Amino acid sequence: MKTKKRIAWIVKILFWLIVITFFTWTIMNDMFRPIVEDFGEFTHLLGQHIIIVFISGLLAILISIPLGILVTRKSFQKSEFWIVNMANLGQTIPSLAVLALAMGFLGIGMKAAIVALFIYSLLPILQNTIAGIRSVDKNTIDAARGIGLTPFQILIKIELPNAASSIIAGIRTALVINIGTAALAYLIGGGGLGAWIFTGIRLFDNAFLISGAVPVTLLAILVDYFFKIMQQVLVPKGLRLAKK
Amino acid sequence: MLEFKNVSKIYNGNKKAVDHVNFNVDEGELVVLLGPSGCGKTTLLRMVNQLESITEGDIHLNNKSVKESNKIEMRRKIGYVIQSNGLFPNMTIEKNVMIVPDLLGWDRKKQLDRFNYLMELIGLHPDEYRKRYPHELSGGQQQRVGVARALAADPPVMLMDEPFGALDPIIRTKIQDEFLQIQKEIKKTILFVSHDIDEAVKMGDKIALFRDGQLQQYNHPFEILHRPANEFVSEFVGQDRVLKSTSLYSVKDLVDSVSLTGYQKAGSVQTVQEDTSLRIVISKLLNQEAEQLAVEDTKGKIKGILTLDLVEKFLYKQIKETPKRTG
Ligand SMILES: Nc1ncnc2c1ncn2[C@@H]1O[C@H](COP(=O)(O)OP(=O)(O)O)[C@@H](O)[C@H]1O
Ligand SMILES: [Mg+2]
Repeated sequence: MKTKKRIAWIVKILFWLIVITFFTWTIMNDMFRPIVEDFGEFTHLLGQHIIIVFISGLLAILISIPLGILVTRKSFQKSEFWIVNMANLGQTIPSLAVLALAMGFLGIGMKAAIVALFIYSLLPILQNTIAGIRSVDKNTIDAARGIGLTPFQILIKIELPNAASSIIAGIRTALVINIGTAALAYLIGGGGLGAWIFTGIRLFDNAFLISGAVPVTLLAILVDYFFKIMQQVLVPKGLRLAKK
Repeated sequence: MLEFKNVSKIYNGNKKAVDHVNFNVDEGELVVLLGPSGCGKTTLLRMVNQLESITEGDIHLNNKSVKESNKIEMRRKIGYVIQSNGLFPNMTIEKNVMIVPDLLGWDRKKQLDRFNYLMELIGLHPDEYRKRYPHELSGGQQQRVGVARALAADPPVMLMDEPFGALDPIIRTKIQDEFLQIQKEIKKTILFVSHDIDEAVKMGDKIALFRDGQLQQYNHPFEILHRPANEFVSEFVGQDRVLKSTSLYSVKDLVDSVSLTGYQKAGSVQTVQEDTSLRIVISKLLNQEAEQLAVEDTKGKIKGILTLDLVEKFLYKQIKETPKRTG
């Protein structure tokens, strides 16, 4: 146990050393120059990036969670296979191909990017919703039915609270992947910080590359952290304690 | 109160789990559904609150067919306890216990009083456990809370499916005793599933013994033990059935039926209380803990001496002279 802790510490220190070195290097070499020089453009691209992620993520949440609930109802059990496999398909096609396909239907622009990312985010949320609801103890549900809860009350009072942790984890995964993938939106004219990243790559200009990539990374970390807190807020205390 | 009328259950069109079962349960009675695993006890129980549909026949609760009752409303009037407690892990003990009253729209004050009463009844301090969560409790405590939850809206009928089956023997015995005590106070009509003859004899006012979905015998534990209806019953209750029947009696029953040997103040004699089970008395006598035991009444006065001979005489009298009772 002690050695494990020590190793964890060493890894942590190394990690932060690398982070500090990286940032010292970038700042010394004036790598964030594009942000400083064209702050207006930066906020514009960042805004686009956030909008793409936010709208596609929100749509995925609004579709996936009800779909997951629907699929886990007894009378819909047969549909699960088809729905999960369709979402699976969206996930297994490379993200670039989904983008290209969306562009094929919707033309270039932000709309195509949003649709592509939406399709790409469906599966993790759907899967986690289904897994979360499925993981609720059969006996607990049986007891709930036996003492006279309606199916709707069972869903609201028992199934969803018990699945909350898993569902939020799914959203967290989907959004973090989404933020990274949204950088590709630029390729189909969807804008976002991908613009600077790809410009940087094309022109061998590290300053542009870093000014695009670092904010994207920070955004992903921030969102991840936000949902970590949401998990603590939204998951019932009894379940959080039970996990420990 | 509760009538099973030619009830059958066939699963998936071929598996007959319950086979033309007929019997009635009177108000305030605790009936044990007994039988080997897979004989259809759980299925029969779950047909009462319509968690399983009835294939053929009918079950009447207060002269009303359960098929025709509103399922949700009916279930809220029937307590339901299962082996694995089925408590809701996301809710506090108070929320768990008060879920049905809450659904029924009881006001806060009434709920609070009821919670306090129930927790006292099951022997857990209300304020200490109110805000705790199920996983913070021991298995025995969880099962007690399960019982409290079933009793919450004061239902006239309770269904209990091997409620103490998952507990270790010591806790199990303790909770059985506690529950019998509670039943004395609340007098519910109870169907209690068990596969354990000892538990059935101890808990049941009557026992319904099943085999392959068919009712073999329905009667008082005494009758089941002493007048098994057929080979299967006799085999199921075991060859030590006379010994088992001793847990049906207390020392008081014996004292009322045969006269004790006189008591002389000479040397030290172990004493037993009048409410002690005869089974424990025999065990003590056979165990060479003592050759005779002095019977003490509630005031601590010694009423006489009890020996194995007397126990034998008493049992003989019970078996031979008790008039046949019918279910
Ligand atoms: N949902 C079900 N579907 C099909 N068969 C079942 C189902 N539930 C129980 N059975 C079968 O019905 C019989 C009686 O089961 P059960 O009522 O659980 O018995 P017990 O409670 O006495 O152990 C068993 O053979 C069991 O396999
Ligand atoms: Mg069973």
